[in-house]
Amino acid sequence: MSLFTLATAAAQGSTSALLSTYIPFIVLMLFYVILFLPGVGQRFQSYFITKDIEQRLLVLEKYANEAKGTTERLLKEKGAKDPKGLTERLAEIFVIDPVSVEPTDIISRMRLLMRSGQNKVKDMIKLSVPKADPVTVSKIEVSAEITNALNMVYKVVRHYLLQAKKLNNFYLLFQLQMVVPMLVKIAESYDKAHKTFVEGKPVGDSLGPMVASRFLLNSEKKWQVSDETIAGETYYEGRRLIVVKAEGPMATVGTPGEAVEKVVEENKGRVKRIITVDAALKLEGEKTGSIAEGTGVAMGDPGPEKIAIERVAVRYGIPIDALIVKMGMDEAIIEMRKEIYDAVDPVVEMTKQIIKERTEEGDTVVIVGVGNTSGVAQ
Amino acid sequence: MSEQKNQTSTATVVKCMSCDYNVEREYRDGDYVMKVEGTCPKDGGKLYIAGIYMKEVRRK
Repeated sequence: MSLFTLATAAAQGSTSALLSTYIPFIVLMLFYVILFLPGVGQRFQSYFITKDIEQRLLVLEKYANEAKGTTERLLKEKGAKDPKGLTERLAEIFVIDPVSVEPTDIISRMRLLMRSGQNKVKDMIKLSVPKADPVTVSKIEVSAEITNALNMVYKVVRHYLLQAKKLNNFYLLFQLQMVVPMLVKIAESYDKAHKTFVEGKPVGDSLGPMVASRFLLNSEKKWQVSDETIAGETYYEGRRLIVVKAEGPMATVGTPGEAVEKVVEENKGRVKRIITVDAALKLEGEKTGSIAEGTGVAMGDPGPEKIAIERVAVRYGIPIDALIVKMGMDEAIIEMRKEIYDAVDPVVEMTKQIIKERTEEGDTVVIVGVGNTSGVAQ
Repeated sequence: MSEQKNQTSTATVVKCMSCDYNVEREYRDGDYVMKVEGTCPKDGGKLYIAGIYMKEVRRK
């Protein structure tokens, strides 16, 4: 009896040992076989990519909703009748690009459309809060622009995600997954910028207006030269300087191109040099606040303002200098960092050096402080 | 292991229009660059806000 029992036990033992050795291996093999069946692996990957994009989409939605909340609050504080309704309208407002297959006159068409769009937003806000001062109106205007941008980013990402899911398009999902982290980073910068603009503090892009304001410190003759843009006259080492900047401390970039064109025409082209100062995007690895000098109009404008300066300069043969201070894209729209502020005085000195080296006593020089003048008066 | 966090604060730089007097203080609501505020304790000249910037304060 004992021998039979022992033999059975041994046989059972070897079977379970056999099973415990091979079952995991078989399961793993089956898993790989299923995974390598056409489309199965891709479906797994699609699932994880979709989950990843959906999580980031939630972040974008949060930023868009918070921006709407801020704009609504600003309007409510100033006694707007329907802050929620107006915020929704401003979040959805758009400007259609001019026809580009026929380039004739595209700049004036672009200028018209851009300015009409900006004026429409401003008029809507003014109509809603008629007693608000210009600085508050400009803050609400910028808030509406940021809300619009964040709302658009959220909606576009949502659109492509839903489309990719609907069409079961793996490659669309894959592309979206690659680009969404960058969009979240941009949205994060916009979110930070929103707070800065609402508080009326200078941003990185305010560097140009800050440099211009240094020249206007002792200027007694200042006038409004074009929409939301100020010009001031001052003297340095026997040269007459006409300094142009957006009208601060409102959060606006003004119309510097039109302003320079007017100033040069008023002086019948007798301008020795035009010096433009602006913030510029740095390349990865470059230091924030580093200064560079070049030729041409330093301006991040889509076209109309920049070309106005180029055209008037060409008409009268005026050389254009560019001084730029480098910063990251996010640094340009968030509160001004110390490294950027520290570049203001060196840029003022470089501008003075250019004036001394390349002009003579009795000459007229136009200096343009390009950028958003939030928190910087004149 | 101690955790390091960078906190930010906003500084306002006030300068004198006629001498080298220069002082930095905490940002206050309503501050903007070129705002004239008070007189210089050194020479009685006009004081103006020359800059507003973000400072990073490293905390442990």
